[in-house]
Amino acid sequence: MSEEPLISVERLGKKFGKSLKHNMLYGVADLTRDFLGQSRRGATLREGEFWSLEDINFQVGRGECLGIIGPNGAGKSTLLKLLNGIIAPDQGRVEIAHRVGALIEVGAGFHPMLTGRENIFVNGAILGMSKEEIGKKFDAIVDFADIGAFIDSPVKHYSSGMYVRLGFAIAAQVEPDVLLIDEVLAVGDAGFRSKCYNCIGHLASRCAIVFVSHAMAAISRLSTRVLVLDHGRAVFHGQPPEAISCYHRLFDARVQPSRQGLGTARIHSVEFIDASGRKVRSIRQGQPLGVRLAVYSQVAITNVCLDLVFVSLADEVVAECNSQLSGMSIDLMANREIQVLALIDSFSLNAGDYRLSALVLSADMVTHYDWQKDVASLEVCADRVGVAGQQYRAQWTIEERASMDSKEAR
Amino acid sequence: MTLRKVIYTPDGALVTGEGGRLDRLRSVSERFARTSELVWCLFIRDFSGRYRQSILGIAWALILPLATVGVFLLMNRSGLVTLGEVGVPYPVYAMTGLTYWTLFATGVSACASCLINASSMLAKINFTRSALVFSAAAQGGVEFLIRGLLTGAVFVSFGSTPHSLALALLCTLPLFLFTLAVGFILAIVGSLLRDIINALGTLLAGLLILTPILYPVAAGSPLATLNTYNPINYLIGFPRELILYGTASMLAAFLASATFSVLLLLVGWRLFCVAQTRVVERI
Repeated sequence: MSEEPLISVERLGKKFGKSLKHNMLYGVADLTRDFLGQSRRGATLREGEFWSLEDINFQVGRGECLGIIGPNGAGKSTLLKLLNGIIAPDQGRVEIAHRVGALIEVGAGFHPMLTGRENIFVNGAILGMSKEEIGKKFDAIVDFADIGAFIDSPVKHYSSGMYVRLGFAIAAQVEPDVLLIDEVLAVGDAGFRSKCYNCIGHLASRCAIVFVSHAMAAISRLSTRVLVLDHGRAVFHGQPPEAISCYHRLFDARVQPSRQGLGTARIHSVEFIDASGRKVRSIRQGQPLGVRLAVYSQVAITNVCLDLVFVSLADEVVAECNSQLSGMSIDLMANREIQVLALIDSFSLNAGDYRLSALVLSADMVTHYDWQKDVASLEVCADRVGVAGQQYRAQWTIEERASMDSKEAR
Repeated sequence: MTLRKVIYTPDGALVTGEGGRLDRLRSVSERFARTSELVWCLFIRDFSGRYRQSILGIAWALILPLATVGVFLLMNRSGLVTLGEVGVPYPVYAMTGLTYWTLFATGVSACASCLINASSMLAKINFTRSALVFSAAAQGGVEFLIRGLLTGAVFVSFGSTPHSLALALLCTLPLFLFTLAVGFILAIVGSLLRDIINALGTLLAGLLILTPILYPVAAGSPLATLNTYNPINYLIGFPRELILYGTASMLAAFLASATFSVLLLLVGWRLFCVAQTRVVERI
């Protein structure tokens, strides 16, 4: 890259106080020190303080997009605020191009009583645009926001979607060198989201983007590199697929298995195996997956139902594998253990981390003998993360390549 | 063209990549123009937003001061307020003082809570935050003008004529600078220690009583001694005497207070610049 980076962050650190009272007292103390021109004693923690971010280093050049992912409280939003100059670092430095645009909870600064038209001018001024500049871009803003006649209604009558659309439309007109994005794509309907993607894609070539999201599909689509944060530290910095798996592994330690049910029949062990029969904890998307169970019963139960339920990180039930629905009849004998293997031809869940719940049910699926939540976890790997929960690897063939003329003739 | 960059460190922000002195001057003047535009926008936003969805709308800005005048006239007619000899009809004296007081009191209260009111915006957008304080102080200026019109009406109804009006208006400037200075300090301190905002109404009411605004203070009284050190006494008293009598007795003290206001503004401004990011992260 011939040009110098638009963002460079070195040994960046930020600390916060845990209680309001400490916050207030330290605030006054820091203020006095700043006012008297003494340097900050930033490097040490005082009682009740913790590092919200520590020792962060990265650079982003023009045309690059750095994705930032991490569990809640990892310091993602703090990092964006430091880049945006809203809060000052306690350690290290941030060097960033002057014209920064931020799509962070857009619509901040709207006055509910003023009309959309008036708010465009006020918000534009807050974002650093001059009156002529806003005047020139006014039509583009209204067009992008797509709020029609509501432009002359007070924004408090807007739906939340309209509110965000208008906010985004204004912020997108700033023409920044650096664009900071925080979860804005999570709101709005499909049409608006596609507009946002196009707008970001348009900006991506000529600015440096820093993008925070919990949506791995968006991260995998937009980012050229990804930084994974956990408890304020960078735990990974590199290519999106590896970063996303690193992010998923962060959750493994947090899984707490739990057990319910009568207990007369119990699942003793659960393991995932691949096509060659090896025990695994991650597989490639589309590969066969086996789940091997050992079930022990104190009493004889005829026609028992084994149920495997896959739950995503977002706690959504995404897939199920049920012995009864597969037409399989399993009988348990008293004081005996049986080994069962459930083989799935092509495991096509979207790339991500999943937890497995395993159940032993009566034939009518009413009585729960054993119900183990989060008994195992599985990672599905792929180069890109899709949007939908199921990813079918269809056979794609081009059947006809019609020429322009024949198409028009039709 | 070199790319303009900002460097944030624990010791503050620094802008680089501005070529020569001329370039820097241009960027400063550009920033000044941008900021004044923003101040105006914020001011209009708050002013026009305040009176929407009320039946009387902008008339509210006149009704409250009118009510004050009414109360004073009533009290005067009933002989309730017979305070000292002021040389002009009492309502004229009181309303002139109150008009000046409004500039200070309204401005200062608006400044004290301006950062807290804009907290969601401050936490998300990086903009020139001092614009919030300027536009809050300007609210005091508007109240001053509206009350000034009413005071004019009171002058007419009592058959009094104001002296040296232009000079008196010019001499209002130090009071505005003083308001801005206190506003900058309170905006910062008030958002860290919210107690101040809760207490501000009472403090201002107390100050109004202690400062000779509604009545003249007898020379030599303890209150008069106390007011020797009260800059508001001179910042309001001097222009008021110019209006009411055409001459003023306290020129030296007024000039000293004006100088003090300018110095205080510099201190308040520096406090604000140094402290703003500290405050934003704690708001």
